[in-house]
Amino acid sequence: MSKPIIVYGHDTGPNPWKVAIVLEELNIPYDYKIVDMADMKKPPFEAINPNGRVPAITDPNTGITLWESGAIIEYLIDTYDKESVLTFSHFPEKYHVKQWLFFQVSGQGPYFGQAVWFQKFHEPVVPSAQERYTDHLKRVLGVLDKYLDGKEYLVGNKCTIADLSFVTWDMMVPWILEGDTDASQLEKHYPNWAAWHQRLMQRPAVLKIAQDKQNAV
Amino acid sequence: MANRPDIHLYTTQTPNGIKISITLEELGLPYKVTKIDISKNTQKEPWFLEINPNGRIPALTDTFSDGKTIRLFESGSIQQYLVDQYDKDYKISYPKGTREYYETNNWLFFLNAGVGPMQGQANHFSRYAPERIEYGVNRYVNETRRLYGVLNTHLEKSTSGYLVGDKCTIADIAHWGWVTAAFWAGVDIEEFPALKAWDDRMLARPGVEKGRHVPDPHRMKELSKDPAAIKEHAEKSRAWVQQGMAADAKK
Repeated sequence: MSKPIIVYGHDTGPNPWKVAIVLEELNIPYDYKIVDMADMKKPPFEAINPNGRVPAITDPNTGITLWESGAIIEYLIDTYDKESVLTFSHFPEKYHVKQWLFFQVSGQGPYFGQAVWFQKFHEPVVPSAQERYTDHLKRVLGVLDKYLDGKEYLVGNKCTIADLSFVTWDMMVPWILEGDTDASQLEKHYPNWAAWHQRLMQRPAVLKIAQDKQNAV
Repeated sequence: MANRPDIHLYTTQTPNGIKISITLEELGLPYKVTKIDISKNTQKEPWFLEINPNGRIPALTDTFSDGKTIRLFESGSIQQYLVDQYDKDYKISYPKGTREYYETNNWLFFLNAGVGPMQGQANHFSRYAPERIEYGVNRYVNETRRLYGVLNTHLEKSTSGYLVGDKCTIADIAHWGWVTAAFWAGVDIEEFPALKAWDDRMLARPGVEKGRHVPDPHRMKELSKDPAAIKEHAEKSRAWVQQGMAADAKK
């Protein structure tokens, strides 16, 4: 591998940064290109991702273009993580990593995203919709908290893409819940989740991306 | 060598449930089924949470190559597991490392992170919510329509009539249960001719026909033509959805 992978991303959205964390962890060179929201749903970007969303990548080393953060992460691991630093090559852990990755992309991301919309942007305020999605967010934190009891990481005894995939949305939880009684008591209500999140936040790759994201905004 | 497959599927008659039974049928694999009664909250019972800590269907257990039981949840990861372990002839998948393998993953994640959650929210606001919130209905019905548009445009260009390469894959199977229930979310499939033709193409497959009726008969096609039945089904579903929401909120 020699040429940097091009990552099409966004400044605030958490999903492209999720891909960047994996690239950092694996020391893969990449260029992070910020795509203007207005340009996502029209050509030429639509030729890269027909869904008009970020992240997407093009990898000049293999010639592939890919979109959907989960599919991109699986590609990066398959292609560049030959030593299985961020995953497992053996059973059953290999599949448990996928299981938590799919839970993140289908169970955490979409619902946290809806919570952001109804908590922060939608006018007028729709209390029942806010409640629906903050309840859902808390339910997800609860599932993670319970499962992480007595564990440092989700699968096996090391940090994998399963853990890392949650971190960019989890970073936003205090902001999403701002004003909610739970916002200041996350450590109390979800102690295992909070300790795990802090553990991930201390990783150099995660710290760097958190900083890059802040700088981009 | 362990005695496998020894597949046990825990499921309910929903789009996410039938994608696993259809995958199993397409692969011709034997499997046992336990019906999970979501109206009785079986999915929140401790024995089930041992299999899936998230308390959702589908879940699956199998004897692993090491002779021990593997427990799996999340429909997308279950589909990946099944083809990885058992689709040695690449009937509904592609060899790892090929372009088609990764493109299948694109569409699989697109369904699991996009179509499924958004159409699910459209169902919620159109059918189950305690109050009618016009904005909520429009937001999710429109997003579902947008996603269907992406699928329709892609299928228009497909020479095989399927999402990736020259055959039906787990990505098509993942979508089918959702797309064939479009009307339930308030989306008119007639707006998307290529997708509608694909829906019929999928339904004509013996594996889809067999797998869709697990664990109970799949009634979406009949339901779409019967307004009285739609109303009855919505009322029944509304009651347990709201019950479940109340129970989750208390935790």
